[in-house]
Amino acid sequence: MAILSTPASTVRLASQGRPLKEHLFRIALLASLAIAMIFLVVLLVYVVTQGWSRLDLNLIQNFPSLRAVNAATAGVLSGIMGTLWVVALTALMALPTGVLAAVYLEEYADKTKWYNRLIELNIANLAAVPSIVYGILGLGVISRGFGLGPSVITGAITLSLLVLPIVIIAAREAIKSVPPSIREGSLALGATQWQTIWRQVLPASVPGIATGSILALSRAIGEAAPFLLLGAATLVRFNPDGLDSSFSVLPVQIYNLITNSRPEVQVVGAAAIVVLLAILLLMNSVAIWLRNRYQKRW
Amino acid sequence: MAAQHPATAPGTGRSLARSRPRYGEAIIKALLLAAALVSIATTVGIIYSLVEPTIEFFQAVSIGQFFGSTNWGPLIKPATFGVWPIVVATLEITLIAIIVAVPLGLAAAIYLSEYAKPGVRKFFKPVLEILAGVPTVVFGYFALSFLTPLLKDIFPFLNLEAKNALSAGLLVGIMIIPIVASLSEDSMAAVPNGLREGSFALGASKMLTSIRVVVPAAFSGIVAAIILAVSRAAGETMIVAVAGGFKSIFTFDPTNEMATMAAFIAQAGAGDLSTGSIPYKTIFAVGSLLFIITFVMNWFSARMVQKYREVYD
Amino acid sequence: MTEIMPNITVRGPEAPRNIEALDPVFTVSNLSVFYGDYEAVRGVDLTIGNREITAMIGPSGCGKSTVLRCFNRMNDLIPGARAAGSIMYHGEDLYGDHVDPIEVRRRIGMVFQKPNPFPKSIYDNIAYGPRVNGMKGKMDDLVEQALTQAALWDEVKDKLKQNALSLSGGQQQRLCIARAIAVRPEVILMDEPCSALDPIATTKIEDLMQELSRDYTIVIVTHNMQQAARVSDRTAFFTAEVDEQSVRHGRLVEFDETSRIFTNPSDKRTEDYITGRFG
Repeated sequence: MAILSTPASTVRLASQGRPLKEHLFRIALLASLAIAMIFLVVLLVYVVTQGWSRLDLNLIQNFPSLRAVNAATAGVLSGIMGTLWVVALTALMALPTGVLAAVYLEEYADKTKWYNRLIELNIANLAAVPSIVYGILGLGVISRGFGLGPSVITGAITLSLLVLPIVIIAAREAIKSVPPSIREGSLALGATQWQTIWRQVLPASVPGIATGSILALSRAIGEAAPFLLLGAATLVRFNPDGLDSSFSVLPVQIYNLITNSRPEVQVVGAAAIVVLLAILLLMNSVAIWLRNRYQKRW
Repeated sequence: MAAQHPATAPGTGRSLARSRPRYGEAIIKALLLAAALVSIATTVGIIYSLVEPTIEFFQAVSIGQFFGSTNWGPLIKPATFGVWPIVVATLEITLIAIIVAVPLGLAAAIYLSEYAKPGVRKFFKPVLEILAGVPTVVFGYFALSFLTPLLKDIFPFLNLEAKNALSAGLLVGIMIIPIVASLSEDSMAAVPNGLREGSFALGASKMLTSIRVVVPAAFSGIVAAIILAVSRAAGETMIVAVAGGFKSIFTFDPTNEMATMAAFIAQAGAGDLSTGSIPYKTIFAVGSLLFIITFVMNWFSARMVQKYREVYD
Repeated sequence: MTEIMPNITVRGPEAPRNIEALDPVFTVSNLSVFYGDYEAVRGVDLTIGNREITAMIGPSGCGKSTVLRCFNRMNDLIPGARAAGSIMYHGEDLYGDHVDPIEVRRRIGMVFQKPNPFPKSIYDNIAYGPRVNGMKGKMDDLVEQALTQAALWDEVKDKLKQNALSLSGGQQQRLCIARAIAVRPEVILMDEPCSALDPIATTKIEDLMQELSRDYTIVIVTHNMQQAARVSDRTAFFTAEVDEQSVRHGRLVEFDETSRIFTNPSDKRTEDYITGRFG
């Protein structure tokens, strides 16, 4: 008996200090996030210092040039305008389509039906298809198949299809976060399903949809690969003036500038990167702010 | 309180049948379904755009040559069509990327899901989101003009080429960290708290609980995240086009310049190739291969996510 | 009589109401409700009297909420749910082929367990029902009338534009009642309307129900036996029974005037439940 019982003096509930292993593990985990953050900071500092000498108004007022003699004054105006055109059209096409598709999947689709599961799986899959493959779709079907050529509208349709899955996924999350009790309350008053969606569910999910849309469009703004196949690869020296106009986009002009062999031209590319990142950081901040502001309202 | 209400008489007289037709509801439902079907049309469109030129390509170039040779040069004369160099380059860059992204992404996910206090989370989540939002052409620039010269200074014995698979792969790895981290974190967050509490109640530490309980319980979600990240890495274009280069030599040495499948498509597609030519069709043949590889991986990943959602929802 | 339930005051002789003649609004016969293959409720026969308060009580899982949700066909919204047997509403089959569930819900209002005001202004919460039913323009009078009937007007008349989520839980629930009244239903279904409220707010809702029962037929599901005894004219007692295949089904045990259920139940199971020996 006496042997089996533990002497009271040896029992200690007080912490002996957490073992070293625990601390190291925690620090290693934290370090991984620190690496990501340090990387971002170094990246930002690097592009700003590289592009600093050309962060001037010429950059956004002038057309591009690959000639070293023009490097002091050349800009990326046509790229900025091309991006504006293409992304605005993408927003017009992809955002409504994406929200409607999300409404279908969240509010109407019977999940036990195979075709609805197929649509769902297909969207998750499309979100991960390499963007260069969308370029092939744009080149083979939209540009040459439909005969729309290497034009603004070809670029916009291609980009819309590319961001559509992202918009749908984000909009679904937003719609899902509206509590079912709101739908029940509305239906119990004799509202139809669409009245319930239009007057209750969609207004309540606007902040979430807006956040997701901004993030999807910022993905669109930074996208370069598909445009390489759509004739946007050259340094276009004019602004688009219509849907059938040829065009370039900012990321593609950056690609052309930074892969140029002349250091002076590369500097213009670095400065253009700063412009691109500034736009994207702004959009990201708005999205994050929106989300924090409207989080958890129920 | 004594109201004259209700004004309408009890419903005896009125039927419960539809008081007015509601065609609008049916039209709207059809419209919504049509929007959802755009995604199916996209997949069909991608496959359609790939199939015909790919078949035509293989009528001109034998499958034996495509998969049986290690000489790749469809854009030069004499043209050669052995696809292995760009496949190997793709695999190699993907492997480097995964070696970077899996430990870092998983560690980030464990920290955010198991350790971070809400304030810390609120700070680090946006860091990952901003990282995910950086255009890949920017990563390419960083790899080409910052990382490669830096690696050359630190490891002169590597004899890095100006464009090389190593720098490109490292940056692709950084690019996919947010994918690994956020999807893994989602699946860890879905692990019921009861499992953790059970482990703590047995006296397990936080580290043991994270590694032995949470990670295994979230395993299918983590695997899905990694597969998705692999697929992203394999299809990444701009980083490899800028920092990895376009040379297609059959080699396993990552210090060399080498073109991946995506880089080849970008390079060939950017040149204005005439529609019927064999080089033009090569774009689609390589595109088909890339699409099939990534499609299979994405499908697996999406199915695994669907499964773990079903388990814990 | 009172020996069985010394703590429960039954609304009986003190507040006499003529409930002898049952003027039926709903006539339920042999109702069974299925979720997929599972029969959640089996063989219910019940009559809901016009402008009476009918309480449905019983242990959790006895199917009382399920039956309530059949009365305005809210169960239709659950995939795989279906009802067998019949519910006649003023002699019209509620589940008949020609019946439009949306029309049903316009006629038969519902108040839920947890207050669920819309994230809109108080005014818009009330105006929502009439609007979706086709009413246009300003509806100040209607809003005032509904809020007055729900005994909320004095508390909110100066802040009609305020978000309804800023109200207290009890106020929110009365708002939900006002919202239901605003579409001028004949029946109000209440699914444990006080279970999320404190005792003071509960008392207010109970008083309100008494007022409303002059104009409306009310069916209330409650966990709280005292509440059923205090407010209702008739009570239906449900319980869960296990059948030969050891599957649980909700069953109606006894349906009678409330005073009789609580003082002189005819079924042993009812007596056990209300005296606290079971449940």
